[in-house]
Amino acid sequence: MRELLTGPNLARLICLLILILLPLVVPSPYIRHLLIITFIYAIVASNWDLSLGYAGVFNFGHIAFFAAGVYGSAIMSKTIGITPWLTIPLAGVIGVIAALIVCLPVLRLKGIYVVLVTFAFSQLCFQLVLSQEEITGGSMGMPLLPPLKIGDYNFARDGKFGYYYVGLFLLVLSTIYLHRLVRSRFGTSIIALRDNEDYAISRGISLARQRMLTLGLSAFFTGVAGGFYSTYVRVASPEIFGFGFLSLALSMLLLGGLNSIYGPILGAFVITLLSEAMVDLGPMRFLIISALIILMLLFYPGGLINAIQQTSSLFSKSGMAEKYIRKLVDR
Amino acid sequence: MDAGTAQSVLLSGIVLGSLYALMATGLSLIWTTLGIFNFAHGVFMTIGAFIAWQIGADLGWGMGPAAGIAVAIAALIGLGCLSEFILVRPFLRRPDVVLVAVITTLSAAIFLENSALLVWGGRYKQLPPLIEGKVGMLSTAISTHEVLIIAVAPLTLFSLWAFLKFTRTGSAIRAVAQNRESALLMGMNVPLLYSLAFGLSAALAGFAGILLGSIRFITPGLGNEPLVKALIVAIFGGLGSLGGTIGAAYVIGLMEAISMFFIGLYWTPAVLFGVMIMVLLGRPTGLFGKR
Repeated sequence: MRELLTGPNLARLICLLILILLPLVVPSPYIRHLLIITFIYAIVASNWDLSLGYAGVFNFGHIAFFAAGVYGSAIMSKTIGITPWLTIPLAGVIGVIAALIVCLPVLRLKGIYVVLVTFAFSQLCFQLVLSQEEITGGSMGMPLLPPLKIGDYNFARDGKFGYYYVGLFLLVLSTIYLHRLVRSRFGTSIIALRDNEDYAISRGISLARQRMLTLGLSAFFTGVAGGFYSTYVRVASPEIFGFGFLSLALSMLLLGGLNSIYGPILGAFVITLLSEAMVDLGPMRFLIISALIILMLLFYPGGLINAIQQTSSLFSKSGMAEKYIRKLVDR
Repeated sequence: MDAGTAQSVLLSGIVLGSLYALMATGLSLIWTTLGIFNFAHGVFMTIGAFIAWQIGADLGWGMGPAAGIAVAIAALIGLGCLSEFILVRPFLRRPDVVLVAVITTLSAAIFLENSALLVWGGRYKQLPPLIEGKVGMLSTAISTHEVLIIAVAPLTLFSLWAFLKFTRTGSAIRAVAQNRESALLMGMNVPLLYSLAFGLSAALAGFAGILLGSIRFITPGLGNEPLVKALIVAIFGGLGSLGGTIGAAYVIGLMEAISMFFIGLYWTPAVLFGVMIMVLLGRPTGLFGKR
C-alpha cells in the first residue's frame, strides 16, 4: 500500500483524479467529447507501442486491428442485435483474431517485409470492407449503431458523461494492462529480442511465439477501443482506414515518444487538442501534422517524453527532478 | 471461355502488368540503392499526373501533351531529389533508418496528397489519351493508348536497364547499392548518387502516373491503390532484383486480370494477398529475392 503512494504512482493518481473530476468542473459537453476521442486514441497509440516500440516489430497494420474492432462491434450490435456492453469486449477478441491472421505471414519475415505485409494487410481489409456492401455498408459505412444503455438510461443523451467515464475506465484498464505486460518476463523478453535478436534466441526465447503474442496482446485493447469508438460515434465508416487516421495515431506515438506507455498517451492529448485547434484549416491540418512528424524526428528523435526529461535535467542541479521524471515515464 | 475473351483477358493483364512494372521498378531501385522503402511513391504518381494535366490538358494551360509530360518528369526528378534530401539523408546514419524512413515517407505522402487537394481540389480530372482511337489486336479491339502502354513500359525499363548497365553513372549507382563503404573509398559522390536514384525513381513514378491518368480519373488519391499493388509486386518478386520485380509485375497483372474475370472485382485484392502470403510462407524474401 505504501508503495502505491510513492512518487511516480502518486503523480499518476493525481492525473487520474483530475481526469475523474474534470467533467464535474468543466460544463462543456464539447470538451468531454474531445477527451473521449483522446482516450480512444491514447489506447490505440499506447498499445501500438507494444509492437512498434517495445518489440521493434514494424507493424503497420495496427489500424486494421482497430477497424476490426469497429466493424466487428458494429455488426454484432446492429446486425445481430447483441448489447453494446458485450460487443465492446468482444471487439477486443476480434482485434486479436485479425492480429493472428496477419501474424501468419509475418512470423518468418524480417525488417521491411514486415512493414510491407502489415501495410498491405490493412489495405486489403479496407478493400474488403468496401466490397462487402451488404455486410459493412460499403463506402457509406454503417450509421445509427445502437448506443450504450442501462435500463432506460441512454448514454447517447446524457451530455456525454456516461461515455466519458467508460472511456476513461478503458484507458486506465489498458494502461494497467500494458504496465504489467511490459514489466513481466514477457515484456523483458520482447525487448531482448529487439535489442539483440541472436543472443535472445540463443537464450531460448522463441522469436515466432513472442511475435505472435506481441501482436495478439497489442490488438486486444485496440479492438476494444474500436468497439467503444463505433458505439460512441454510432457509425462505422471506412474512413478509419485512411491515411488521416493512420498518420494521427502514428504522430501521437512519435511525438509522445516510442518505448514508453505514457509517451503515446501524452502524445494523444497533445495531438488531439492541436488538431482540434486547427480544425478550420481543412487539408492544411494534415500538412502541418505531417510536417510536424518529420521535424520531430529530425530534432527530438525520443519524442516529447524524452524532451521533457532533457529539459528537466537542465533545470535541476542535483538531477533529482530528472530521476523523478524518468521514474515517472520509465516503462 | 472462347478465344476472344481469353485474348482480351490476356491483353488487359499485360496492360496492368506494364503499369505495375513501371511503378514497382522505381520502388525496387530505391530499395536496392538506399536500403529504404519509399511510401511516397504512390503520391509521386499523383503529382506527375496532375502536373501533366495542368500543363498539357485543355482545361489546364493547354500547352499540349508533350510539354505536359516533359515538365512533369522534370518536376518529378526535382521532387525526388528534394525528398531524398529532406526525408532520407538526415536519418541515414541511424540504426533504425528503415523504420524512420517508412514514417518520413508516409508523412510526405500525406503532405503531398493534401497539397494536391489544396492546389487542384477534389474534382475528377482526366488526361486525354496520348493517341486516340482503337486498334484491332488479335481478335479483340483495345484502345491505342493501351497499346502504347504495352509498348512504352518495356522500352522505358529497357533503357533504365541499359543506363544502369552501360553508363558510368549507372555503374556507380549499382556500385553504391552493392557496397556503400567501398564506393565511398573509391571516391564516389554517394549522396549525389542517392539523390539521382531517388530522382530517377520519382520520374518513373510520375511517368506511370501520366499513363494512368488517361485511363482513370485523376484525384489526390490516384496513387494509393497502385502503390499497394506495387507493394505486392515488390514483395512477390523479392526486393532487390529489377528483373525479378518486372517479371513479378507481369505475373501479378495477368493474375489480377484472370481473377477479375473468374472471381470478380471485389475478391481480387484478397486473391492477390493470398497468393502473396503463400509465396512468403515458402520464400520469405519473395520469388526472386536474394537478401
